[in-house]
Amino acid sequence: MKIIKLIALSGGVLATVLSFSLSAKADNHVFYGLQMEQFEYRAGDESEKLFVWDGDAFVGTDELKLRWQGEGERDLDADINESLENRLVLQTPISDFFDAKAGVRLDTPKGTDRWYGTVGVMGLAPQWFEVDADLFVSEAGDGSARLDVEYEGLITNRLIVTPSVELNAAFSEDREVAVGAGLSSVELGLRLSYDLIDRSVAPYIGVAYERKLGDTADFAKDEGEDYVASFVVVGVRLLF
Amino acid sequence: MPIFKTSFMRRFAVSTMVLGALAGYQTSAFAGAGHSGGHGGDGASEIGAPGEISDVRRTIRIAMEDNFYDKEKIIVRGGETVRFIVENKGEFVHEFNIGTAAMHADHQDEMMMMMEHGALEIDKINMDMMEMDMGNGMSMKHDDPNSVLLEPGKTAEVIWTFPKKAELEFACNVPGHYESGMVGNVRLQ
Amino acid sequence: MKIKFAGRAILGALAAIGVSFTANAATYDLSVDYVTIDTGGMQTKGIGYNGASPGPTLRLKEGEDAVIKVTNNLDEATSIHWHGLILPYQMDGVPGISFPGIEPGETFTYRIPVKQSGTYWFHSHSGFQEPDGAYGSIIIESEKREPFKFDREYVVVLKDKHPHSGARIMRNLKMMPDYYNRNQRTFGDFISDVSKNGLGTTLSERGDWGSMRMMRTDIEDVQGFVGLINGKSPEQNWTGLFKPGERVRLRFINASAMTYFDVRIPGLDMTVVQADGNNVQPVKVDEFRISVAETYDVIVQPKDDKAYGIMAESTGRSGYAFATLAPKEGMRADIPERRMESPLLTMADMGMSHGNMDGMDHGAMSDTDPGIMAGMDHSNMAGMDHSKMGTTKTDPFYAAGSGLAPEAANGGKFLSYADLKAQKPLYPERPATREIELRLTGNMERYTWSINGVKYEDAEPIRLKYGERVRFKFVNETMMSHPMHLHGMWSILDTGQGKWNPVKHTININPGTTVYSETEVDEPGQWAFHCHLSYHMAAGMFRKVIVEGGPAVAALENGNL
Repeated sequence: MKIIKLIALSGGVLATVLSFSLSAKADNHVFYGLQMEQFEYRAGDESEKLFVWDGDAFVGTDELKLRWQGEGERDLDADINESLENRLVLQTPISDFFDAKAGVRLDTPKGTDRWYGTVGVMGLAPQWFEVDADLFVSEAGDGSARLDVEYEGLITNRLIVTPSVELNAAFSEDREVAVGAGLSSVELGLRLSYDLIDRSVAPYIGVAYERKLGDTADFAKDEGEDYVASFVVVGVRLLF
Repeated sequence: MPIFKTSFMRRFAVSTMVLGALAGYQTSAFAGAGHSGGHGGDGASEIGAPGEISDVRRTIRIAMEDNFYDKEKIIVRGGETVRFIVENKGEFVHEFNIGTAAMHADHQDEMMMMMEHGALEIDKINMDMMEMDMGNGMSMKHDDPNSVLLEPGKTAEVIWTFPKKAELEFACNVPGHYESGMVGNVRLQ
Repeated sequence: MKIKFAGRAILGALAAIGVSFTANAATYDLSVDYVTIDTGGMQTKGIGYNGASPGPTLRLKEGEDAVIKVTNNLDEATSIHWHGLILPYQMDGVPGISFPGIEPGETFTYRIPVKQSGTYWFHSHSGFQEPDGAYGSIIIESEKREPFKFDREYVVVLKDKHPHSGARIMRNLKMMPDYYNRNQRTFGDFISDVSKNGLGTTLSERGDWGSMRMMRTDIEDVQGFVGLINGKSPEQNWTGLFKPGERVRLRFINASAMTYFDVRIPGLDMTVVQADGNNVQPVKVDEFRISVAETYDVIVQPKDDKAYGIMAESTGRSGYAFATLAPKEGMRADIPERRMESPLLTMADMGMSHGNMDGMDHGAMSDTDPGIMAGMDHSNMAGMDHSKMGTTKTDPFYAAGSGLAPEAANGGKFLSYADLKAQKPLYPERPATREIELRLTGNMERYTWSINGVKYEDAEPIRLKYGERVRFKFVNETMMSHPMHLHGMWSILDTGQGKWNPVKHTININPGTTVYSETEVDEPGQWAFHCHLSYHMAAGMFRKVIVEGGPAVAALENGNL
C-alpha cells in the first residue's frame, strides 16, 4: 500500500518534471537542483542508530518551480522508518525574498499513512535566517504547522557552522499518528561542515536534539517510546 | 656672438634660481611658474640660444597636427642658426619646443599644471590666466625663446642657434602629446 | 599603356556614378570548434575559433569590405557578434535579433563594410559559448595617420577562465547566488571589526546589511577563475618583446564573462590613447580599470633593458592575470605584490548616500573648469602641493563614499571616465530629442537581473526613430556594476565635456550612480542592448532595440545580401 502511494507520488513528480522540461525545451530559463541539507548517521545517547535525511529538489523557472521536499528517519536496528515524508509543491515568488508554495504531502512511516494538503512560505528573513513555514491539513481533517529556521555562520569561507530549529504544532489531536494538540515536537541541531568540493560536497559533524512535547510526548511514553533523544551526527551536505 | 648669448642665458638662469631661492619656493612644487625664467641652469647652454634673423641661412617649416609633427626628425649643422616657421594645423593647442629629453619631462609637469589651473585648455590658451601674478612676481607665462605654444590655426616663428653638440628633441609637451609620440629628433651634424 | 589608361578611365567613370567594385574585399575564414583550453593548472573543454581559444586576431582595414566565412563545427548552433563594429544589423550576429544563428555544419558569410578603425573583439552570442572560450580580437587599421605613433603593438586580451562551464555556473548561481563567493565576511572579520570599531558599531553595521539581506562582499559573482592574458595564465606568462626605448602600443580587451580588471605595469606610465576603438585625447595614467567588454589602447615606452610585468588584478581581488613585456624571450617579470584586501560595498553603493549623481551636472565637477580656479587666491599657491592635486579628486563615476572607487597601487593617477575626451568628435553636438530611463534592477538572492524590473523575455522592445538623438539615463539600483552594451550604434558617454564627450560601445555604470549616454540613431534595423556580464545578460538584463524608419534594409538570406 505504501509502495503504491509512493509510486503515485513519484509518478506525479516525473510527469510534472517532464511536462516542464518539454514545454521549456527551447529556452534556457528552466533550472533544476538537488540539495540534501541533512544526510547523516545519528548515534543516540541510548545507543540508537539512525539514518536521517532532509532534502529537496526543484525544477522550474524564476516564476514557477516544482519542488520536492523529503525527510525521514530510519531506525537502523529495527530496520523501520520512524518517519518518512515526501512533499510536492508548486512555488512562486511573493516578495523579494519569499516564495509561496502549495501542494501535497504524503507520510508513509511505520504505522498509519497520511495525506496532507499544504501551503507555506519559504525564503530568507532579515539577518540571513533561512525560513520554511508550512501549514498542513490531513485527510482526517486535522491541521498542523511547522517552522524550520536555519542560519549559516561562516567561521571561514569554507568552514561553516549551521544551527537549526524545527518546531511542529498541531491544531487538533490525531491519535492515529500519535500527535496531540498544541506544540508537538522540537528539533535542534548544530552542524559544522567543510566545503570540500565547491558547494557540492560538504562533510559535517554535529549534534541533534529531539523532544516531543505535551500530549504528543505522553502518547510516546504510553507506547513505551522515547520522547526525548540527543544524537551525535556525522554526514555530508550535498548540492547538485 | 653665440658665446655671449650662452653666457647671458646661463647668468639669467642662475639669477632666476637665486631669486627663486630667496623667495623660498621649491622648484618641484612650483615648476610651472618657472616659465618666464627658462628651464633651469643646465639646459640653457646645452641646447643653444635664441638666434638673430641676420644669421639665418635656412628656414624649416614645421606643421603640427593632432597629435604629431609632419617631420620625424630635423637635421642641422652644429652652430647653425635656423628659422622655424611653425604652423598649428590641428584642432588642439600644440607646442614646438627645442630641448633635451629631461627638459621636456620637466616641462610636461608644468604644462600639466597649466592645464589643471585652466591656463591651458585643449584647444585654447587663456592668456590672462597665464599672465596672472602667481606671487613672487612669477606667472605661468609661456614665453621661452626655445619654444612656441600655438592655438589651432596659428603660425609662429622660432629662430634658434644650435650648439655644436647636443642630444636634442623637438617636442610638444601638452599633456599626453609627447607620450603619444609628438616628438622628433634634432640631428646635429 | 593605352589599354591601362582606358581601363582606369572607365573605372574612374564608374566610380563617379557610384558603382562600387568588390576589388576592395578581403576574405577571412573562421571555424568554430570544440577545443581544449590548457591554463597549466587545469585543462577544460571549451569552444574556440580555428582550433584555439582565444581565436585569432582579425586584421581588417578601414574602407574594405570584409567577407568573413564562419563555419560551425559544433553540434549546437552558434553565432559571432563583432563587438563595437558599425554594420548592417543582419551582420551583427545575435540569434533571434539579427539572424537565426548558424546551425551545426553550416557556413555563414558575414559581409561587413568596414567604416571605422581601432581595437575591437568578436565573440559568440549563443548560450554560454563566450565564457566557454569563443572570443577573439579585431584590429582595424586606420585609413588616416593615427594621432599617436608606436614602434610595435600587441593585443592584450583579458579573460576570466573558469573550470566550470558557463551553463553549470548559471545553474549554480540560480541554485545558490553566493555559490562562487568565497570572499564573504567571516566570524574572524566580525571579531576584528569588533576590536577595531567596538561591538555596538559592528553589530549595527552587520544588522543594517543583514536587514537588507545584501552582502558587502558581493562584488564578483563568479570567483574561482584563472585570469588569462592572450590565453595564458600567470604561470604560462605571455610575453611581448620590445627594444628599450621603443613605443609599444598595447591594445587591451576585456573579453571576460564577469570580471573587471585593474591594470598596471609597475615602472611604466601608460598613455591611454583609445577607448572602445575611438581615439581619445592622450591621458597618462598609472592604472586603469577595464570593465567587461571594454577596450583601452595605451602606449608605453619601456626604456630599460629589463622585464616589465603587466598586472591585472580583478576588482574584487579574487583573481589576477599577469604577463610580461621583455627585451628578450624567456624573461619573466616579478609578479608585484597582490592587494589581497578585497573591497567592501558601502551604503553609498546601495544608493543610500545623499551625494547621488542623479541630476548632477558633471561639468561642474570637471577639473579643467576654469570657473573653479578663477575664485582661487593665486598669491597663496606657492604653498600648495600641486603634485597631490590630481590624485585627491574623487571619481564622479562612483557613488560618493563608494567602496568600489579605485586607487592606483602606487598612489598615482587612476583613470576615470571623466578623463576620457574624444580626440575627434564623431558627431556634431545637438540636444537629444528625448530621454529614456533605464533602471538597472535585480535581486541578488534570486539571481534575477532586469531592466526597469522587467526581464528580457517579458519586455517590450525599445523603439527608436531613425535620425533622432536619444539620451539614455542609466540608474543603477543594484549593488553591482553593469557594463551596458548597445549594439550597432555608438554611445556618447556624458562626462559633461560637450563635444569632447567620449564615444564608446560599452558603458559601465557603478552601483548607486546615474550615468547618461546619448546615441545618434543612425543605423536601421534591430539591435541588442544588454549588460555584458554573461550571467546577468542570460538572466534577463537585456533589451531588443528596434530602429524604426530610415533606409530600407535588404532582406537577409543566409548572409547573402
